Amino acid sequence: MSASFLGACNPAVKLAVLTLCSAGVLFLTDPAVLAALCAALLLAVVLAGRVPPRDLARAMVPFLAFGVGTLLVNALARPGTLLWPDLPVRVTAEGVRIGAMLALRTLVIGTTAVVFAATTPPQRLLTSLVEHARVPPRVAFALLAGHRMLQTLPEQWTTIRRAHAVRAPLRRDGRARFGPREYARCAFALLVTSIRAGERVAFALESRGLADGPRTIWRPTSLGVRDVALVGVVLGALGVAIGLS
Amino acid sequence: MRDLVLLVVLGVVFGFLYWVLVQAWTALSIAMGPAGDLAQHVLFGGWLLVAPLAVAILRRPGVGILAELLAAVIEVVFLGSPVGPLLLIAGFLQGLGSELPFALGRYRSFGWVRFAVSGLLGASLVFFWSAFRFGWYGQDLLLLRFGIQALSGVLLGGLVAKVIVDALLRTGVLASFPIAAASRSAASAGSTAPGGGAGDPDLVRRER
Repeated sequence: MSASFLGACNPAVKLAVLTLCSAGVLFLTDPAVLAALCAALLLAVVLAGRVPPRDLARAMVPFLAFGVGTLLVNALARPGTLLWPDLPVRVTAEGVRIGAMLALRTLVIGTTAVVFAATTPPQRLLTSLVEHARVPPRVAFALLAGHRMLQTLPEQWTTIRRAHAVRAPLRRDGRARFGPREYARCAFALLVTSIRAGERVAFALESRGLADGPRTIWRPTSLGVRDVALVGVVLGALGVAIGLS
Repeated sequence: MRDLVLLVVLGVVFGFLYWVLVQAWTALSIAMGPAGDLAQHVLFGGWLLVAPLAVAILRRPGVGILAELLAAVIEVVFLGSPVGPLLLIAGFLQGLGSELPFALGRYRSFGWVRFAVSGLLGASLVFFWSAFRFGWYGQDLLLLRFGIQALSGVLLGGLVAKVIVDALLRTGVLASFPIAAASRSAASAGSTAPGGGAGDPDLVRRER
């Protein structure tokens, strides 16, 4: 993972670039420019991030669905010049243009979010944020503990569901019913056990001195030429795109 | 530190539960096509839950905003949210809106109406931001969108939060947090049943 160019960049810098990107995209209005940017980005992700194209495609499905939805709603729900007056529904040129713009923005931001998640281990990100962005260590440790907890949640969820299924009413095919009521019950059980666990986690963190006070950093992250290059390339691409549209 | 971890836990658990729900939901919303874009407003209130919960449990200024911010960080960094870092802005607005009614009550009154207003404000403040982000201005649907989202905010993001808080208090897991102390002192002010503890259902009823 860290063999790729993006994987070796400083996580805090990457997060800043990502934020800048998603803010900068809001200034782009031309669908053609956005499409070009999106294509360039996808290429860059595969080359510099070494994200396998198949994983990338799978991660993009929700954004595509959301984008298509946005496009359709805007095409149908916006007043303006009619594109095809013969159709029974109203499809306007303005609607299609704005819809395409919004859908492409979603894709661009989605791509950056995917590549960020794929190339950044949370531990490195939080270390780097404490080091370079002055995030209080307390917050970072709490978030890391939360990350660990998140990894165990799916397992707990299945356990709770199985336990509840013992007494649940059966459907005709013999399997346990799982409707909104059952979902709410299991969710509440999960919430209660997690709050209990959270209290123990906090106690453990405090007793290990991970709360406050001056501290050193284990495996510090580095800032280098690579990060300058990343910022330069991304800023340049954004600048060109904003200039064109 | 305990409070901070509680906030993170709330964010993590609700992030996970929402993810489970979304798994079931995505297929449906893809099938609905353009209506799926509208359907997001129905569930919107669910995103607001964390802030009123946090404020009601910890009863301190700023906790609602912090809770929403942490929840946003968890979504972006751990769950890989498609919205990206701009979610932090949305989280901040949601937290601000949800916390405002409780701040006006100086973190002392936690009735049904206050929870409802909290959900309403949380939903409306962030609506203007997302309307700008997703270009909802100028669509015929703008008012409909706002109506659904506000209603969902009141129900899911306000009243459901109250139900959950009361239920949690009854289980006793919150015994070491400010909410339990408040309910104890409310009980001793009534000068009945000394030392009932947070698990006593009588106290919960009086807490309101």
